[in-house]
Amino acid sequence: MKNYQNMVFSTSMRLLANQAEAEDVTQEVFLKAYERFAELQKSSTAGGWLKTVARNLSLNHLTRYRARWSFFSEMFSTSDDSEQPVDFPSTENLEAEIEQADRHEMVEQALRKLPETQRVPLVLYHLEGLRYEEIAVKLKISLGKVKTDIFRGREALRRKLGAQLTAELRP
Amino acid sequence: MNNDYEKWLEREVDRELKGLPELNAPAGISSRVLQAIAGRSRLPWYRQSWPAWPPALRFASLALLVAMFGGLCFAGWRVSQLEAFSNGVGRVGNLFGSMSAIWSAVHVLTSTLALLLKQLGTGLMVGCLILIFAGYAMCLGLGTVSFRMAFARR
Repeated sequence: MKNYQNMVFSTSMRLLANQAEAEDVTQEVFLKAYERFAELQKSSTAGGWLKTVARNLSLNHLTRYRARWSFFSEMFSTSDDSEQPVDFPSTENLEAEIEQADRHEMVEQALRKLPETQRVPLVLYHLEGLRYEEIAVKLKISLGKVKTDIFRGREALRRKLGAQLTAELRP
Repeated sequence: MNNDYEKWLEREVDRELKGLPELNAPAGISSRVLQAIAGRSRLPWYRQSWPAWPPALRFASLALLVAMFGGLCFAGWRVSQLEAFSNGVGRVGNLFGSMSAIWSAVHVLTSTLALLLKQLGTGLMVGCLILIFAGYAMCLGLGTVSFRMAFARR
């Protein structure tokens, strides 16, 4: 369990963006694994199985417990309106501060602050390796909406991460 | 939007996200899972999930369910053979016959309503529709504001 707990927790945490819920899902994943312990013990794909279960349970959790609240946010979400005040280093002293700041924590925070409609497809695409079509099926939304949400998510991440990305090789 | 820009953005975000290390699970997660497992194993068999039941009980419950299903099918077939059943079906048919009278009344009412709306004129109807839409939009707006206020990030 110790070998996989970080992986399972990371998957849930990045999809749910909520520590308590991610812990609950992690626990549920390992309880399911315990029920199938005999099979998983011999399997070489136990890690993949755990990751898939963590992903599916997180998505189920989002559907089951947050669907009613997401109604309004989905209806009125735009690319910019949900932007929160950015607490990342300003462009002037970015270089100096980045040396001290934990870059990964910064990205994690930026990801966590994205609206659910952008974060979930973005994580599924970039971190879970799902294709646009698979995401559309999983989230029960159109392919066009998946692409739009992912693009908006990337844009929001770029903005949240300040000039860091734009300073690099941009075409 | 520039296609090159989209590709560049995808590449950069992919690099950033794939470069993230795994998050550390909270220290207590293992003990929490073990406690939950212990709690489950302490439950009596009938409160556990069906796959966790003892094999003999699983087999017995399956046999019982199959027998019950077979019994229900047989009972249904026997009942359908009874004369009382045919009478009952006839009575239900009559009930639906009387429903057609209600349907005619509803049809007359809707026709009257349609005639009335024609007499009222288009302007009034449009006004009513606007009023209804404005009320709906107001409810939606108030709901959104409440949602935003309740879940505003602090």
